[in-house]
Amino acid sequence: MWSKIRKGNPIFKLFLWIYAIISVYPLVWMLFYSLKDNNEIFVTNPFGFPTNLRFENYTSAISQFNVPKYFMNSVFVTVITVVGTIVLAVMFAYSAARLRWRGKTIAQMYIVIGMFVPVQVIMIPLAILVRDFNLTNTYSSLIIPYIAFNISFSSMVFYGFFRTIPNELEESACLDGANIYQTFYKIMLPLVKPSIATMVIFVFLAAWNEYPIALMLISDEALKTLPLGLQFFQGQFTTNWGAMGAAMTIASLPTVLVYILFSEQVEKAMTVGSAVKG
Amino acid sequence: MNKFLGNKTAILLFTLPTIVLFTIIVMWPTMQVFYRSMFDWDGLSAGKFIFLDNYKRLFEDRLFYTSLKNGIIFAIMLAVLQIGIGTVLALTISNKKIRGRKFLRVSYFIPVVLSVTVVCQLWLAMYNGEYGLINKIFETLGIPYRQDWLSNGKTAIYAVAAVNAWQNMGYHFALLLAAANSIPEQYLEAAKIDGAEKWKAHWKVTIPLMAETYKFCFVLAITGGLNAFANMQIMTGGGPGTDTYTLTYMMYRSAFRVGEFGYGTTAAAFLVIQCLIVTFAINKLIARDRIVY
Amino acid sequence: MKKMKKALSLGLVLSLTMALAACGSNKGNEAESSSSNAQEGKTKLRIYAQYSDEDTKGYYDYAVAELAKEMPNVQLDLEIQAQDDGQKLKTYAATGNLPDVFNTALDQINVFRQSNNILELDEYVDKLGFKDKMQPSALNTLYTDDNHVYAFPYAGNEMILLYYNKELFEQNGVKVPTTFEEMKAAIETFKAKGITPLSIFAKEKWPDVAFYDMFATRYNPAGISALDKGEAKPSDEAYVKAAQDIIDLVKAGMLPKGVTNLNYDQAAALFHEGKAAMFVNGQWEIEASTKALGDKVGYMYYPATDAATYESGKMAFSGGGNPGGYAVSANTKDKELATKVASFMALKYAEFKYTQKGSPIVSTKVDKPVVKAFDPMMEQLAKDLPNITSTTAFAWGLSNTKFKAAIEDASQALLSGSYTAEQFVSDLESAMK
Repeated sequence: MWSKIRKGNPIFKLFLWIYAIISVYPLVWMLFYSLKDNNEIFVTNPFGFPTNLRFENYTSAISQFNVPKYFMNSVFVTVITVVGTIVLAVMFAYSAARLRWRGKTIAQMYIVIGMFVPVQVIMIPLAILVRDFNLTNTYSSLIIPYIAFNISFSSMVFYGFFRTIPNELEESACLDGANIYQTFYKIMLPLVKPSIATMVIFVFLAAWNEYPIALMLISDEALKTLPLGLQFFQGQFTTNWGAMGAAMTIASLPTVLVYILFSEQVEKAMTVGSAVKG
Repeated sequence: MNKFLGNKTAILLFTLPTIVLFTIIVMWPTMQVFYRSMFDWDGLSAGKFIFLDNYKRLFEDRLFYTSLKNGIIFAIMLAVLQIGIGTVLALTISNKKIRGRKFLRVSYFIPVVLSVTVVCQLWLAMYNGEYGLINKIFETLGIPYRQDWLSNGKTAIYAVAAVNAWQNMGYHFALLLAAANSIPEQYLEAAKIDGAEKWKAHWKVTIPLMAETYKFCFVLAITGGLNAFANMQIMTGGGPGTDTYTLTYMMYRSAFRVGEFGYGTTAAAFLVIQCLIVTFAINKLIARDRIVY
Repeated sequence: MKKMKKALSLGLVLSLTMALAACGSNKGNEAESSSSNAQEGKTKLRIYAQYSDEDTKGYYDYAVAELAKEMPNVQLDLEIQAQDDGQKLKTYAATGNLPDVFNTALDQINVFRQSNNILELDEYVDKLGFKDKMQPSALNTLYTDDNHVYAFPYAGNEMILLYYNKELFEQNGVKVPTTFEEMKAAIETFKAKGITPLSIFAKEKWPDVAFYDMFATRYNPAGISALDKGEAKPSDEAYVKAAQDIIDLVKAGMLPKGVTNLNYDQAAALFHEGKAAMFVNGQWEIEASTKALGDKVGYMYYPATDAATYESGKMAFSGGGNPGGYAVSANTKDKELATKVASFMALKYAEFKYTQKGSPIVSTKVDKPVVKAFDPMMEQLAKDLPNITSTTAFAWGLSNTKFKAAIEDASQALLSGSYTAEQFVSDLESAMK
């Protein structure tokens, strides 16, 4: 069955392209949405091209709410989270996957638990922790938990990739007289570069869109991130949905850019990486 | 080698920061969850130690079984759809000769890039019983199958899970593509020389070589499904009635809407244990040995 | 690959400098603001209030402007209330970080008074003479069941109204229903004409509870509040019948498709644009409906099983007031000041509602002249008010949180069309165990 599908089967090709369209459509939909009014959004024209381009939605999104400020806060928090998470997770995963010490599988398992803990339930203990460390209403009150929460998945992915690297590489490095840090930095890191670029995207997305922790821990207007700012577009009974769409579009731009940029890196790194290995 | 890879300073330097940070920020609060699951507690006052009574109550609670069932449905939907579609797409795109490869690759990931809010709003509009696109498509095709997708207690959980499956398929696609790309070409070529067809070759060679990636794809999909919360919160609020509750949602309801924080943490504790068991099982079932090529 | 390394290290350097800059500037700001405060001699108070749409902004801005005249030395630091089932406020309480003044509802009052997070206001009510400023008919919104005061109320005894589009009824020759039979007939006629019989924003759960309560009050005027207080059981005939009535009407096609996913904007649009004949909302909807439909809109008394019960019970309304409003944190530094501000805010909210929102339904007396005249429907309601025989409670006014969560879920399920009265009763009972 598969063999038939492979040979340029037009139905399979069609599937590839239809799926691509279904995947891109939300982006287009969001753009349309951001240029409509409530009536069009909900009743007359929820899916098509806006009948009347309401660019004023963008003006009201930016002027009514502190969007530029939220935006900068999000950039700041997200960038540090990404760097911190990747650095810690790569080091930890390397150590757990390849170095020799007792309890390393348990340690890896231990870190993975972080993936299963629903953030809502540890919110109150976390808030108390943040207070006790005197971090209330600081960027650190977001960055530190974000890093801690993202380490689980990142280190699991890195762990998987490190485990597929042949042992001979380290052996020969050892014989060449390199120490463990040099081996890690010069030989191992380049090999997992594709997965690092992948995880940059993932962690960026997670931190950029994070809402529950930010809601609980940040009340200072000057520190609010985008998802938090967006939330208050939504009134209890009425909302300017078009302006909300505009703000959502502004908020989504960086994620799309980061993705396109880094997925390019993944691709390039792949080609180089497999050439080296081959 | 042992000395080289057993460098104590290096191990400490590499692992300690992560372990300390993780223990303080994630595990310490989680431990409190387990501890508090044995209390009759409103989250603010002192609380009363009742040992396992909350667990007894949990296992008698109808809502718990609804939530558990929905979590399992959610997890299965995610695992099957995301990993199934992700595999087919990743293996196809890993072939450098596919036309429009770059565009396809970027497209498949787009839904992941958007926030849950955006995606849920879109699907709310798609599912809408009056103006929804899905019903319109059925209409255009002449199929008399108008549905109240989200307001019907029987279809709601599937409809919500489908949104999550669709949105996060890109994660699995990206991970599997990375894995497929890092498999040296000569493996497939060797298989092809044997006359095996490409997909058969994938099935026999590529996919087993990607076992390590499948491991965390399954963990991600299944625990993601058991933990599902945001989609319900935005799309259905757990409704209609309690038809789209999951354990996380039940925890949220008990802790914040009812004010029984202790009981809420019981549901959460159960969830964490459930996910741990699943992860453990996946690790046992898939590729016990390290794969090296 | 080199590029990526560069990008990464650049990112690292950038972020570090930003971090340093941020730390530096943060501290600078703090120092600055505190010194400037000292200069002006202003006292800062944190306040947690609704401020997310035109409506709630109007109230808040009005009250703050008035406050600036009355107490120029007080500066309010607003935190916008999140729609999160009180999660944020509770986290604040758990970390001892409650805002000085916060807007709250009954269920939160109950939790906070047990954990001593909320200030008991009895002595301040006396000092500020707040009781004398209350409308005698709204005293129920001041005192909780233990006869203490925990919040300064402003909303008054609000009602659930069943709005209808008179024109649609006349054009289609439909009699305004007084009984469920007539209601069914109306549903059939409207459906045949492609008009949605009744619109409700059932995604939010409180309108679902209110809708159920409308039916329950036809059998027991105390409606859901009797269940809340444990004075009645879900298995009592009144409550089973009410559930069954709703199920029957839903089966007959009363509601729009996907009703449990309609938000206010969507559900109200149906009614305001003449696509739905009836609509359920609180009396505050009068303003918006009148604006959209003019004199075509009215409200009807809730239909009942038969003409006799309709007549005898038509002044038994669903809805009602409950303790809630502006409360004060038990840990606030200057209790005198915080309570003064809280009571002032509450009074000004009522004043704004009365004078500019065209609504006489408030908790406190207002002596200022009306700026925006009452809409005709409001005039009619004002005439009905003194004759109302009983009220119940909105979902947010229920005090038994277990019951509240259960009735919210169960009433929504009733509207989904795939739920039986037996399930309704047993779900309520099992949740309240």
